[in-house]
Amino acid sequence: MIEVGRICIKLCGRDAGGEAAIVDILDDTYALIDGNVRRRKCNIFHLEPTSKKIDIKKGDSHDIIKAEFEKLGLSVWDTKKKEKTQRPLKQRGKKAASAENPKKDTKNKKEPAKEAKKEAKPAEIKKEAKAEVKTEAKEAKQETLQENPSEKKRASKKLVKEPKPE
Amino acid sequence: MPAPRLRSRSFRRVYVKTPGGKTVIHYGRRKPKIAHCSKCRTILKGVPRERPYKMQNMPKSSKRPERPYGGKLCSSCLRKLLIEKARSQ
Repeated sequence: MIEVGRICIKLCGRDAGGEAAIVDILDDTYALIDGNVRRRKCNIFHLEPTSKKIDIKKGDSHDIIKAEFEKLGLSVWDTKKKEKTQRPLKQRGKKAASAENPKKDTKNKKEPAKEAKKEAKPAEIKKEAKAEVKTEAKEAKQETLQENPSEKKRASKKLVKEPKPE
Repeated sequence: MPAPRLRSRSFRRVYVKTPGGKTVIHYGRRKPKIAHCSKCRTILKGVPRERPYKMQNMPKSSKRPERPYGGKLCSSCLRKLLIEKARSQ
C-alpha cells in the first residue's frame, strides 16, 4: 500500500487529518509526504493509506503535486510568503532629518529654548513694567506740585490708587 | 485562627516555609479539575490546570496541543477516529 503517489491521511501531529501524497520512500519507517500537509519526512505508521492514487514520480516538486491535488478537488497546504516588515518610520525619519541637515535642527532647537526662557521668567517683565509706571508717576507728581502745591495730598492718593499693570 | 472567611474548606491550603523558619499557611482558591479525554476519560497531557484568570493570559498554543481536537481528545482516540474516517471513505 505504501508507494509513491499513494494518498494517505496523516494521523498524528499538527497536520493530522490532512491528505498527504507519498513523494518518496526514504527508509523502512520514513516517507517524504506533501499535499494538504507541510512537505516533510513522516513515519509510515503515522499514515493511513486510502484507495486514491496520483501520478507522480519519486521526488516531484510541490507545484506538480499541487496540480494533481487540484484535479482531485483536494485542498493544498501552502506556506505563506513572508513579507518584509518595515522598520518603524518615526525613528527613521527623525534620524534621517538630523543626518541631512543638522545645522537647521540646532537652530530650531535653540529658538524654542529662548522662548521658553522668556516664558519662564515673567516676573522680571512685570518688575520692568512697574518701574516704568513709577517713573511716569513721579513726573506727574512733580508737574502737579509745580502747578498746585495744594494738590499734594490728592496726587499722592492718586498715585496709590493708580492701577498697577496686569 | 485564620480569618473567618478563610475557615471555609473551599479554600486550598498551601504550607509555605518562610525564610525565618516558620511555616505559614497560604490560602487560595482550588484549582479546577484536570482535563480528560471526552471519549476514553484518560488525563490529557499538555493542558495546564490553572484558574481562568491565569489561562486568560497564556498564549493559545500553550493551553492545548496543536492538533485537531487538541485539548478535547487524547492522541490515541484521535488516531482511531481518523483511521475510521479514512477507511469509511
